[in-house]
Amino acid sequence: MTTNQSATADRTPVDSPDVCVVGAGPAGALLSHSLANRGHDVVILEAGPRFDKESRVDRMKRQIHPDRGVDEIWDMGGERDEYTNSSERPMPLNKRRVKGVGGTSLHWASVVPRFRERDFEMQNRHGVGKDWPISYADLQPYYAEAEQEIGVAGPDEAPHQPPREQGYPMDPLPTSYADKLFTKAADALGYDVQPMPMAINTGAYDRDECQGYGTCEHVCPSGGKYSADIHVEKAEAEGAKVLTEVPVQRFEHGPDGEEITAAVYATPDGETRRQEADVFVAAAGAYETPRLLLLSASDQYPNGLANSSGTVGKYVMDHGGALVIGFLPDQETHSAEYGPVISSGIQQFYDDDEDPIGGINMMLLNQAESPLAQMAMESNALGDDLLAELKRQYGGTIGASTSAEMLPREDNTITLDESKTDNHGNPVLDIDITPGQYVRDASAKAADVTTELVEEMGGRIAFEQGSHTPNADYIEPEQYGYHPMGGTRMGEDPSESVVDPTLKTHDLDNLYISGGGVFVTGGAANPTLTIMALSLKAADHIHEELQS
Amino acid sequence: MELTRRDAVTALTAAGITTTAGCAGLTGETGSDAEPMEVLVSLADVLYPSDIEPTPEFIETFMYGRITDEESYREELTAGIETLNQLAADEQGGAFHTLSADQRRSVIENTDLRTGPSEPDGSDVARVNYYLLDELLFAFYSSPTGGELIGNTNPRGFPGGFGYSPSLEQ
Ligand SMILES: Cc1cc2nc3c(=O)[nH]c(=O)nc-3n(C[C@H](O)[C@H](O)[C@H](O)COP(=O)(O)OP(=O)(O)OC[C@H]3O[C@@H](n4cnc5c(N)ncnc54)[C@H](O)[C@@H]3O)c2cc1C
Repeated sequence: MTTNQSATADRTPVDSPDVCVVGAGPAGALLSHSLANRGHDVVILEAGPRFDKESRVDRMKRQIHPDRGVDEIWDMGGERDEYTNSSERPMPLNKRRVKGVGGTSLHWASVVPRFRERDFEMQNRHGVGKDWPISYADLQPYYAEAEQEIGVAGPDEAPHQPPREQGYPMDPLPTSYADKLFTKAADALGYDVQPMPMAINTGAYDRDECQGYGTCEHVCPSGGKYSADIHVEKAEAEGAKVLTEVPVQRFEHGPDGEEITAAVYATPDGETRRQEADVFVAAAGAYETPRLLLLSASDQYPNGLANSSGTVGKYVMDHGGALVIGFLPDQETHSAEYGPVISSGIQQFYDDDEDPIGGINMMLLNQAESPLAQMAMESNALGDDLLAELKRQYGGTIGASTSAEMLPREDNTITLDESKTDNHGNPVLDIDITPGQYVRDASAKAADVTTELVEEMGGRIAFEQGSHTPNADYIEPEQYGYHPMGGTRMGEDPSESVVDPTLKTHDLDNLYISGGGVFVTGGAANPTLTIMALSLKAADHIHEELQS
Repeated sequence: MELTRRDAVTALTAAGITTTAGCAGLTGETGSDAEPMEVLVSLADVLYPSDIEPTPEFIETFMYGRITDEESYREELTAGIETLNQLAADEQGGAFHTLSADQRRSVIENTDLRTGPSEPDGSDVARVNYYLLDELLFAFYSSPTGGELIGNTNPRGFPGGFGYSPSLEQ
């Protein structure tokens, strides 16, 4: 199947650009557009292809097909994407990240809450983790800018939200049937259900509006869901150049070791090229960025670039999960009829005074079961028998998914596995991450609250992840790897961190890092709006620097 | 109930999807002198509930409108029909579309159709499962017509708009 326009693409280095950005996900895309928009010459080097929009319907069908893996939807896997998992739990990275123009946002769910004020000062407030060198107030204008850029539908007035300076660009998504069921049960139990900020176009933005395919995660065929290819294209309209299928192999630095001189990339026809620039931004995602720095080791920097602190690849975080699915016998739940996978959440346990301290961000699901067509394909029955089976199986489900705060720990790491190489002969990344009690307590609390809600609705639990009660056969281990953060953390002290508050590396004068890797703590909010806000902030710093 | 193009076209056009893609492949002759569409209709007839009468229009719109790579799909379709006819000949002594509904059902039930693997690059039968049977099932059960039978007019995979939310049942 032809899935991209790469065969004829130009892959020659751009002549003396101002900025070279590695990675075309949300972090690279917003930053590139912000700089190109102000007249800077930007080149983006992206490891993956530019996917054809037309292929999205086909990818959506892969998602629904019972025998196709999540990794197949966006062509992940194979030698290019080899990695090692040394964690005790499965970390199916190639079902999580996407490589291509738009990055992992091609298959994200587009849930975009801001971090809370507390998330920047957990050490000060609760004696855990480490405080960020910036505060919520520093990032607040950039949150607003990011929301405007990507188009967020969210509630202006809602409890348990951080302070807002202005309204959301679009009204919240309409209340779904599942939201109504949850609200009724939550009212009885004293919990607050509130609209979730979603980067889905309800009409105000100049992309197609949501068409209700109901497959936001992992493919939005209409393009109503924001994905970062949008800002890559906007950057291109402002003159930025994008080279695709050019994985950067390493950065090279000058003789004094103070500046990056080139990003060395490989092309599909086996050539190696050098892209020079005044400023470099590593935005290759929180999995690959530490690897790239480690692969760039030199005589002067034998432990890898920007690693004089020894913290590259350390303090890696994720969010804990707590997916709970309930069944409401004899009740209609209108699963999936609504369209977007999520429209509301429960945020009151994010920043409350009760134990557990760990932040809890509960997302209420509008579809808690397999798609109807998937069930039909999965069955062996025919005709009327098949229909009867589907009638028995389908419907009546309700569920919630949670992201819960994990503390940064030095021993949760991304390193190089020298014993295994990718298709270019480079050692692959090795992830080793263990969730501690802190995040497991927060996940368990979310699982308990969801269970309580389902029981209040008159239902029973059919499937549960993240619970502390390990003796029921429906309890599954949590799923990990969705929200990688840390590994190149931010700080004032060069002996403890990789980048400074402007996201510039302490060690190299013209190397910035943009992405979840710079997070000091992980909060519970889905990370990408914060990644975007930080990227826009870094773009301002780079702009200032290029001006002077 | 006769399936028409109507429920499909509006939504697919709204989604910016070409609805004519692939139609060209439907006029080609196959080894058994049937047009591919006849074979698909005869297959859909046993896959879909008995109240449903699959029409070429429905199949054309729902299936082919969603095929992005027409060329390779046409090849799979032709190859798939050949396999199907081979199985039908072995089991029931005739080309698939010439058999009665009961005979067609027994061809499926007595082979790896449906029960066997469904893979885009698998064995001949696995590819029939993937490109013919599963495509037809996807087309129907991700359409409002199929969805409605289980009470969901906007099943996942169908671009039926967003925000449907009836009042809570008391
Ligand atoms: C299933 C799923 C659902 C999610 N849902 C949400 C959600 O609802 N809300 C939310 O906030 N977050 C969500 N996330 C997380 C979100 O996708 C990420 O936080 C976000 O994409 C990170 O952006 P990024 O630009 O830093 O990295 P990425 O999006 O991963 O992009 C990195 C890019 O860099 C490229 N790259 C890597 N290495 C190299 C190299 N050596 N040379 C050149 N290019 C390279 C990659 O190909 C990729 O395109 C979800 C994630 C998953 C897996």
